Amino acid sequence: MSAPGISGIAYALPAHRRDLSELAALGQLESDPSLLAQFGFDGVHVAEEETPYSLATTAATTMLSEQRVPPESIDLLLYCGTSSLAFAPHGGTADAACLLASTRRFQYPATRLQYDLGLERASTIALDQLACTSLFAAVRLARATIAVGEARRVLCVSAEFFPECAGREAIFNCTSDAGCAVLVDGGAQRNRIVASAEITKGYYWDADALRNEIVASYFPTAKHVIDETLRRAGWSPNDVTWVIPHNVSVRSWEILLGLAGVPRARLWDRNVSRIGHTLAGDNFINLRDAIDDGSIRPGDRLLLFSYGYGAHWTALAVEA
Amino acid sequence: MPESRSILITGATGLLGRSVLQRLLAADARLRAVVLVRDSSSCASIADTANVHGRVTLVEGDLRSAGLCLTSETLAMIRRQVSAIIHLAASTSFSNTLEDARVVNTTGTLHLLELARECRGFERFAYVSTAFVAGRRTGVITEELASPSAGWVNAYEQSKYEAELFVCREAADWTILRPATVVCDDRNGAVSQLNAVHRALRLYRAGLVAMMPGINGSTLDVVTTEFVADAIARLALRDDARGKIVHLCAGEGALPLGELLDMTYACWARDSEWRRRGIARPPLVDLATYALFERSIEEVGDASIKRLTRSLSHFVPQLALPKVFDTTTARALLGDGAPPVRDFWLPMLQRLFVDGHATLGTPRAA
Repeated sequence: MSAPGISGIAYALPAHRRDLSELAALGQLESDPSLLAQFGFDGVHVAEEETPYSLATTAATTMLSEQRVPPESIDLLLYCGTSSLAFAPHGGTADAACLLASTRRFQYPATRLQYDLGLERASTIALDQLACTSLFAAVRLARATIAVGEARRVLCVSAEFFPECAGREAIFNCTSDAGCAVLVDGGAQRNRIVASAEITKGYYWDADALRNEIVASYFPTAKHVIDETLRRAGWSPNDVTWVIPHNVSVRSWEILLGLAGVPRARLWDRNVSRIGHTLAGDNFINLRDAIDDGSIRPGDRLLLFSYGYGAHWTALAVEA
Repeated sequence: MPESRSILITGATGLLGRSVLQRLLAADARLRAVVLVRDSSSCASIADTANVHGRVTLVEGDLRSAGLCLTSETLAMIRRQVSAIIHLAASTSFSNTLEDARVVNTTGTLHLLELARECRGFERFAYVSTAFVAGRRTGVITEELASPSAGWVNAYEQSKYEAELFVCREAADWTILRPATVVCDDRNGAVSQLNAVHRALRLYRAGLVAMMPGINGSTLDVVTTEFVADAIARLALRDDARGKIVHLCAGEGALPLGELLDMTYACWARDSEWRRRGIARPPLVDLATYALFERSIEEVGDASIKRLTRSLSHFVPQLALPKVFDTTTARALLGDGAPPVRDFWLPMLQRLFVDGHATLGTPRAA
C-alpha cells in the first residue's frame, strides 16, 4: 500500500461576509483596521443562520459527492469541534449553556454526522481542545490509523466558530467561521503525507495570562517543528514548492519564513484577505484552493504549518 | 613620572574604574590620584580607597561643562600636579540619543583634553574606549583607528568613536584602551554589576526572547573586570603603550553565538522546573528578519513586550555583524591575553541565575 494521502478536501463558509470597516464599526476588532489590512486581512465570513454542524455537514457532503466516495467505504470518522456549540445558530452560547446542563449534552455532533452522511461502517471519534490544529491532529491520526491497518479510508471533519463574545480578532488575526472536510485515503493518488511533527507545550495553556511568552515562543517553536518536519521528509527548506499556511498575519509568516529559510515567494497566501483565519482548518482550505487555481502540480512539495491555542505547533509535509 | 606628580582619573566610582584606581595605587606607592566625581557625598567606595591609601583627592566636577565646573583652586591644583589623565567615565546607556551620548562621551572627553593641554609637564592621556567603536564593520578588527564608513549599531558606539578621534588629534601623548563588554568580575563568575548582556540572558531564561540576530561566525566577545582593570592599570601610563590602540578583548577566545546559546540552555535545563516549561532556544536570524520582528512588536505588542524588545534592540544587532577583535598589540604589551569566554561563562550563569542572587540593573556597556 502506498503512503496515506489526502484524496479530497471540501469546505463551507457562512454566506455572510463582513469587511474590516464593518467589523470595526460593530466593535469586533481590537486593532486598527488599517493595521490589519497591512497584515493582509480584508474581511471574514460570519455565521448568521448557519450552525457549526450545518457547515460541517455541507463540507463533508460536498467532499463525498465531488470525490464520488460511497459513504459506506468510510472506516473512521474523526470529528473536530466544540460539541456543546455544534447545533447553536451562529455558534451562540445561550443555547449551549442549557445543553451542557441537561441530558442534551449527549446529543453529539460526531455520531449525528455519521448517521446523516450514511457512514454505516464508520467508527467515530471526536477531537477537542486543539484549537486551530484540530484538523491537523485528525489527519495525523488518520494517517497513523491507516498505517497500522486499522482503516483504509478516514473522513476528518472540522467545524468551529469564533467565540460569540470575542469579537473577530485573535492576536491580530481576523477570524472566519467555517467547516472543512478532509478525506485521508490509504490508496490516495495525490497529496501523499510524507512526514509530520507536532509539539505541545502545556506551560502555555493559559493564553490570556501568558500572551507575551506565547508571542516569544511562537517563532522558535514553529521553526523547530518546521525543521523537524522537513528533516523527517528528507527535504531542505529550498525543496519546498509551496508553503500552505494557516491564515494568520502575512507579516508573521514573513518572519517565520525568514527563520525557516524558505523564500517568501513560496507562501501561498491568497486566502488571507479573502477568508482570513479559521479555527476549522485554514491549511486544508488553502490546499483545496491552491489545487483548484492550478498553483499546485503533481510532485510539488508542500509544507503545511499551523499553531493552536493550548498550545500546539504542528506541520505536515505533503507531496502533491 | 616625577615624584610629586599625580594622575587624574574619571569614572572611578564605577566598578571598573574603582578597580583600576586600586591597582594603580597598589602598584606605585608614590602615585597620587585626583578623582573626578560628580557628587562626593555618594562616593563612599572611593572615600574608602582614599582613606586606605591616603593618596586620593576627590574633586567634584562635571565632564559636560568646559572647565568641568571645577573651582579655580582645584583647576590650579590639577594644572600644577597632574601629569596623566585616565579617562574611564562614560554614559554607557545603549538607548541614548546621539546628542545625549555625545554630551558625556565626546564633548566630555574634549573638555578633559583641553584641561590636559593646560597641565604643566603633562605626559599621557589614557582613554578607555570600547571595542565596539568598530560599529557595523565585520571581519577582523585591527587595533587601529576605525573607519566610520560602516556606521554604528547605537549612539554609544558612535560617540566613543568620535571621542577616539579627538584623543588622537588633540593629545600629544595618548593610549587608547578598548575593552569588550565586561560581564563578570573574574573567572569565578561573580557579577557585581549588571548590564545589557545580563538583561538579555534574563529575558531568554524567562522565555521572552523570540529570536536573536546572528549568523554563522557570530561570536560574543566578553571579558572580566579583573582582566580589563589589570590591563588598564598596567598599560595606561606605560611608555611602550604610547600612541597605541589596544584591544582588551577575548579575541580568538570569544564564544560562537550558537555554542553560547546551547551552553546557556543546557545549564538552565539542568533545572527540571525550568526545563518542563519548554522554553525554546532563540534561533539566529538575519538582521532583516529581526528588524521585521521588531517592527511587528512595535505595531502590535503590549507595553511590556515593547519595552523588553527595545531593551535588546540597541545592542543585539551587533551579534549579526560577526567580527574578531585582533589582540596582537594587547598580547605583545601584556604578555598574555584575556581569559577565553568558555572559562567563565558557565560559572557566571551559575552565580547569576542558579544561585539566584542577581537583581536587574539598568543596561550598561563596557
